[in-house]
Amino acid sequence: MDELILAVEECDYVNEVVCKPANVLELFEFPPLFDSINRTVFLIGLAAIIVLAVVYVTYRKPRLVPTKFQAAVEALVGFVKDEIAVGIIGPEGARYAPYLLSLFLFILVGNLFEVTPLINFPITSRMAIPGFLAFLTYVIFLVAGIRKQGFGYFKDIAWPPGVPVAMKPLVGIIELFSILFVRPFSLAVRLFANMVAGHVMLSILLASGVIFIGAVGEIGLRSTIGVAWLGMGLLIYVFEIIVSVLQAYIFTLLSAVYIQTSVNPEH
Amino acid sequence: MLNAALSVLLAAEEEEGGGIDLLLPAPAELIAGIIAFAVVFFFMWKWAWPAINRSLENRQKAISGQLGEAEAAKVEAQSLLDDYRSQMADAKSEANRIVEEARAQAETLRSDLVSRAESEADQIVAKAREDAANEKARALQEARQEVADLSIDLAEKVVGENLDREAQRGLIDRYLTDLERMA
Repeated sequence: MDELILAVEECDYVNEVVCKPANVLELFEFPPLFDSINRTVFLIGLAAIIVLAVVYVTYRKPRLVPTKFQAAVEALVGFVKDEIAVGIIGPEGARYAPYLLSLFLFILVGNLFEVTPLINFPITSRMAIPGFLAFLTYVIFLVAGIRKQGFGYFKDIAWPPGVPVAMKPLVGIIELFSILFVRPFSLAVRLFANMVAGHVMLSILLASGVIFIGAVGEIGLRSTIGVAWLGMGLLIYVFEIIVSVLQAYIFTLLSAVYIQTSVNPEH
Repeated sequence: MLNAALSVLLAAEEEEGGGIDLLLPAPAELIAGIIAFAVVFFFMWKWAWPAINRSLENRQKAISGQLGEAEAAKVEAQSLLDDYRSQMADAKSEANRIVEEARAQAETLRSDLVSRAESEADQIVAKAREDAANEKARALQEARQEVADLSIDLAEKVVGENLDREAQRGLIDRYLTDLERMA
């Protein structure tokens, strides 16, 4: 919370109704801690360590009758493995399960940083993470398509079978554009934009709430505005937990769907 | 709220082009992200995935083993139950047989006793009859003797001399026998 309040410390709570930074980047860019390591870089490393630790602790000595923690992680892993990897892609999906599992857990932890007390910053709101992960998915589904169908993969996209000949050029262009350009960008931007919006809303609402309520001695009754902002902020906080899980799921699910369309061209 | 967020974004973009900066990945973060995800992926691929599968297989084995054991136990219990049931049936029929036998024995014993009692009673009655008959015959004999003696005495008094007692007695006897025959 400290850095949120720092980011809007020059708040004009006497005249304005909400506290917002002069530049939105103040909410997303932190000064370097040392060298080029800033808070975000540190949090990216922390997300990886948390994923490793959770999986390691769960599967180091798995019990036949799982503990609650083991059962919870097994449920998550089983969901990605059975519902997403094998469920969407089919029997071949098991090959992609380690990737999808990494994707889901890394994004999930990264997203949940948004609502983790004392962290309150989703690393997935920095284009580096969703951009890189979307690019990886892009490369993987292209490579999977080429490996499976050779050059026919692109031919089938540009000259789609099962479409009336008159429509083939139009559908082909749309498909080519959508698969080769829209897919990676939409995948990256969907996650990125959701987390940016969530972080902007949460930080502005909670910071405004705290600042207005804190200034009660100076502005009197006007500080009730802060109560409204804080209330809304807490509501959005809960909402953001759902969004964090949902966006991690959607990113993983769409990655699986894209891989599936490359692996099973008939669908 | 969304509007507030958007207005901040738009304002930032108008002022200093912050929105575009937001869309471009920062190099340090990109490198950190690549390294972090690579570590996660390799860990997941090389260590976690086999561990996950191993754990599932172990559980599968354990569960199917336990199911097999349960099945064996069930079969054993069933055979025990069958044994027990057949033993029960044997015991029951044995008990029935014993009861039946006892009843038959009691029946023969009873009929023996009854028939013995009956024959004994018959014997007693027969003996009583015989005794009575003997007694009667003896009484009759004595009466006959007495009648003969009295008759002779009477006749001696009438005739006034001793008669040949033995001859007279035979005469009377013959007479009485004739009487009996006529009666």
